Amino acid sequence: MKKTLLDYTLKVRLPITLFVVALAFVVTFYASRAERDGVGYSPDQPINFSHKLHAGEMNIDCQYCHTGVTKGRHALVPSTNICMNCHTVARKDRPEIIKLRDYYKDNKPIPWKRVHKVPEYAYFNHSVHVNYGIKCESCHGDVRSMEKIEQVKDFNMTGCLNCHRHPEEQISYIKNVKKGPENCWTCHR
Amino acid sequence: MSEIKNNKKSSDTKFWKGLRDYYDDPEILKIKANEFNDGVTDNFDPDELSGISRRKFIALLTASAAFTATACTDYRDKGEIVPYSKRPEEILPGIANYYASTCKGCELECGILIKTREGRPIKIDGNPEHPVSKGKICAKGQASILNLYDPDRISHPYIDNVKSSWKKLDTEILAELKKASENNKEIAIVSYRINSPSTYKALQQFKKKYPSANFYFYESFGEETKRKSWQLCYGTDQLPKIDLDKANIVISLDSDFLSREGNFIENTRLYSTRKDIMKSPDFNRLYSIEGGLSLTGMNADIRLRLKPELQDEFILSLLNELLIKRKVASIPSGNGLYSLINKYNLENFTRKQGWEESKINSLVSDLLENKGKSIILAGNTLSLNTHVLANLLNNVLGNEKLYDYSSANVLVTKNNDKESWKNFLGNMNDKKVGVVIHFDSNPVYELPSDYNYANSLKNVDAVISLSELPSETTGLSKYIVPINNTFESWGDSFTRSNVYNLQQPVIAPLFNTRQKEAVLLTWTDEKLKYSEDLYHKFLMQSFKDDIYTKQNPSSDFKSYWYSSVHDGFVELPTESTSYKFNISALNNIKVVSKKSGMSLHIQPNYFVGNRKFSNNGWLQEIPHPVSKVTWDNFAAVSFATANKLGLKNNDLISVEVNNTKMDLPVMVQPGLADNLLVVEAGYGRENSGTIESGVGFNVNKFLISDNLNFKYIFENVKVDKTGKTYKLVSTQEHNFLNEPDLRDFHKIRKIIFEGTIQEYKKDPKFLLPEEKVLHGITREHEYKGLKWGMAIDLNKCTSCGYCVAGCNVENNIPVVGKEQVAVGREMQWMRIDRYYSGSPDDPEVSNQPMLCQQCDNAPCENVCPVNATNHSPDGLNQMVYNRCVGTRYCSNNCPYKVRRFNFFNFRDHFADAYYENDLTALVNNPEVTVRSRGVMEKCTFCIQRIMEARQEAISEGRELKGDDVKTACQQACPADAIVFGDINDPESEVSKYRNHDIGYLVLKELYVKPNVTYMAKLRNKNSGEV
Repeated sequence: MKKTLLDYTLKVRLPITLFVVALAFVVTFYASRAERDGVGYSPDQPINFSHKLHAGEMNIDCQYCHTGVTKGRHALVPSTNICMNCHTVARKDRPEIIKLRDYYKDNKPIPWKRVHKVPEYAYFNHSVHVNYGIKCESCHGDVRSMEKIEQVKDFNMTGCLNCHRHPEEQISYIKNVKKGPENCWTCHR
Repeated sequence: MSEIKNNKKSSDTKFWKGLRDYYDDPEILKIKANEFNDGVTDNFDPDELSGISRRKFIALLTASAAFTATACTDYRDKGEIVPYSKRPEEILPGIANYYASTCKGCELECGILIKTREGRPIKIDGNPEHPVSKGKICAKGQASILNLYDPDRISHPYIDNVKSSWKKLDTEILAELKKASENNKEIAIVSYRINSPSTYKALQQFKKKYPSANFYFYESFGEETKRKSWQLCYGTDQLPKIDLDKANIVISLDSDFLSREGNFIENTRLYSTRKDIMKSPDFNRLYSIEGGLSLTGMNADIRLRLKPELQDEFILSLLNELLIKRKVASIPSGNGLYSLINKYNLENFTRKQGWEESKINSLVSDLLENKGKSIILAGNTLSLNTHVLANLLNNVLGNEKLYDYSSANVLVTKNNDKESWKNFLGNMNDKKVGVVIHFDSNPVYELPSDYNYANSLKNVDAVISLSELPSETTGLSKYIVPINNTFESWGDSFTRSNVYNLQQPVIAPLFNTRQKEAVLLTWTDEKLKYSEDLYHKFLMQSFKDDIYTKQNPSSDFKSYWYSSVHDGFVELPTESTSYKFNISALNNIKVVSKKSGMSLHIQPNYFVGNRKFSNNGWLQEIPHPVSKVTWDNFAAVSFATANKLGLKNNDLISVEVNNTKMDLPVMVQPGLADNLLVVEAGYGRENSGTIESGVGFNVNKFLISDNLNFKYIFENVKVDKTGKTYKLVSTQEHNFLNEPDLRDFHKIRKIIFEGTIQEYKKDPKFLLPEEKVLHGITREHEYKGLKWGMAIDLNKCTSCGYCVAGCNVENNIPVVGKEQVAVGREMQWMRIDRYYSGSPDDPEVSNQPMLCQQCDNAPCENVCPVNATNHSPDGLNQMVYNRCVGTRYCSNNCPYKVRRFNFFNFRDHFADAYYENDLTALVNNPEVTVRSRGVMEKCTFCIQRIMEARQEAISEGRELKGDDVKTACQQACPADAIVFGDINDPESEVSKYRNHDIGYLVLKELYVKPNVTYMAKLRNKNSGEV
């Protein structure tokens, strides 16, 4: 029987095209996963603030600045007046602190780049987690050693459920830890 | 004891949703059979669809997916977090603050708590500590938050309709004022009656500077007639609080005291304490004798239909029966009372009206048995005669015991009488008036039409209007002075003689507006510069002079002031006085016998009000409590009258009263008195906001003055058919169930269970049939621990609809507009179903708030192809918007029809995206998702409030309890008819309701296991014997 162009297309060209497309998709999908999930995201901030210096070396408690963390949904990036508690006297001559002081003096809020974000349709609540005894580093990583803040864990639904389903692996430091709720309205409403 | 003859057992009642339903109108049968309303698919045209073939579309989709995947090589920008520079100490982002203030929506002056998030007010609740309103406010008060963010607000001063500056405005107005006072011309300030002592002080200060200034106060639907009758009968115009909780018998003569008259918030609370089956089965009994079918009438245990102009005759006949025949009290001599009432006879009157004798016998015997424990309430729109006679009736029955003058209404200013208005109008016409200042009022729209106010205004040199929104009056003004919204203003007021309120601003003015009192103050003194705290200081001084010094508290002024502002009110000591009935009040009573032609009764409307709420989409869209009509007013006529005149729904009729003609659409309303048109005012606005313009008909044109400023009842009304029609939109005929189909399921399918309190007292289990064991076909989930449930007590519920308003605000419910309601796409998560039973002429009405029942075996869940709706372990039927793809299978499968679908992005779709702007977006509750197109939604039992309570419980290290949470509808209910909590806790209030003998589940036999319990309505039918 004569081979027609159609046969060739169906038997050879189509499978090859499909294979290439699928392979390209799969490779890109996995290769770009971290970026899509935001893992490793570490944008430049308007002021070079070092968590390593403040939280690590000086051992300032997280809640000194992130005041909302036990009270409500938002942990809160500190308002500039909290920085100025110390920096009205401390290290006044450093270039980054001069930047800070200028923001404060002009009453201009500092536009910090957002690093950690859950989608807007998820209502994550800091206080229920922190008041339950979960440590900040369980989600945010070892911030005390970060010169520049960076996302180290997945901030997607798999990440949330991983811990809600297997808390004994993820947050083993809490004794008799109970599973977290898994129903939709826990986060979405 | 009399007993009303009723051959039917109450449980036999067949319920019907409307007249067309009752008569099995073929159109209704069609609606019942079809899933979609007519016209829903009209706009769908397959030819208009895109020409791209399915294959091509998929090819494009694949290609773009591949491109997107390869493009994902860099991190997405996640935006910024911008913290405060200097965070105000009291603000913690994400946590709400509450500020006590006073609602300025009407003259009731209820205490409110304003919920603010990050400095923007988002919800208004009642202040639970307020001594009169006790944490409850009406629909208007709750929806008033939308007025703050109304894009139609006047944002700049205007001179001759040209945008101007405050400086220019002030200079020109000061010149006008100076000119007027130099030429000795009158300066008139026209305002609503004022309840605020400090505002009145500011006005007086103005008069001091301009001695030719005069004030004119008015209210178009107020208690003026009642006050006049009190003046005549008791020599005081202070109306007392009425202890409705002590009244065994309440008789309403065309008085809608549960929703439109008196302090209806307090009335509802007091009245419903006597309909509380959990406390006592000794219910009060409500008789309603009325022409229209009002909300109070719907709740009446016994209802009689009577045209409003015949109320005098009825009271006189009743007086004749009580005084002459039954000799309840001696007739005072030396006045014409005996000869006045001797002519009348109750039996004849009853026969003439065609009333059931048993009903009127029951009324008479109830009054005789409950002397001093009954109350007769006359409606605000009735004549002065009727009010005086009603006072006499209360007097002879000893019911004045229920008047509490220690908490009386205070008149800071009185309404001007007709004579002084006529003088003023004459002065205007004679060009003796230099300046007219409309002090936040709209007289062009509201004053009686025979005053011809708009015409007279043309003879005034300068017309100034202080207003928030454009109106009929600002349209005729040279100077338009934009003023602050109530949430941007300071203020004070009296709710009652013993309750003084303070009002505080919770947000800085959003536009270039000013506080109205401060504007007046700056006009009194050229050197006085306007500042935000000008009136604040003035108010503080006034508070110091009037309240602080008189109270003489031990604390210093500053701390007393701050604690008063914090509380929102100050309780003042008052003495309880009593007033003696002055029999000479009867001297002026002349009763003219009435003709039997058509009459017209103009009443205030339920939600929009007459003042500044008609531009509020939420309020326009809440269905009318009786007719369920939205976005319109209409002429209601009885069934018999409609038949006589050959009218049907949506016919446009021409109504002529005193040579004023107007076209009005007809709504055939069961339960109306015959030969009567009932129309509600407050619609048909012109030169006003986007929402209100063109909605309904302005029946204020009919209002004229008689010996008082306003007359509301007109006889000899001419009604003609025009042959035209006008589409009224009522939600009542939405979501019909096709009964013949369901009858096969179950013969005794009942949505409403009803009985009488007498049957209940004999056998508490009389109503509900023996428990049948029902079986499901699926494996059932066991609920351990907390499980949410709700109970709604239909005895207490008055169907006022405030729950709907509260839910709208709490849950970011969009306004969809009349066209969308017409095709059954209203978005309110809660609705009040109204069923009639009995005859269309004189039906009994049953109401039932209906919301998602959070069924254990929810039928919606099984059919969702993407599992966007499913169940939570605490018994909630969850709806997940981000998973929903909009198949609408769930809505189709819901037996209660409580799911709502976003056919559009309604904020964008409604009125050219009127509510889709940065300003109005501020009203949204940040804890609730703003739903977009293609998503199903429904009641969530206020999951955001549950989550907030859970957060609190965790931070306190305790378990979440059922009574930690109050839903928005529960909080709004003025009768406390809604209970919410943990049904797995046998001690909780909600489980007591759930296990009560009259607690039932709607459509129980479907075995969907709903979690909302309804308490069957028990009517208090016949007197005495059990």
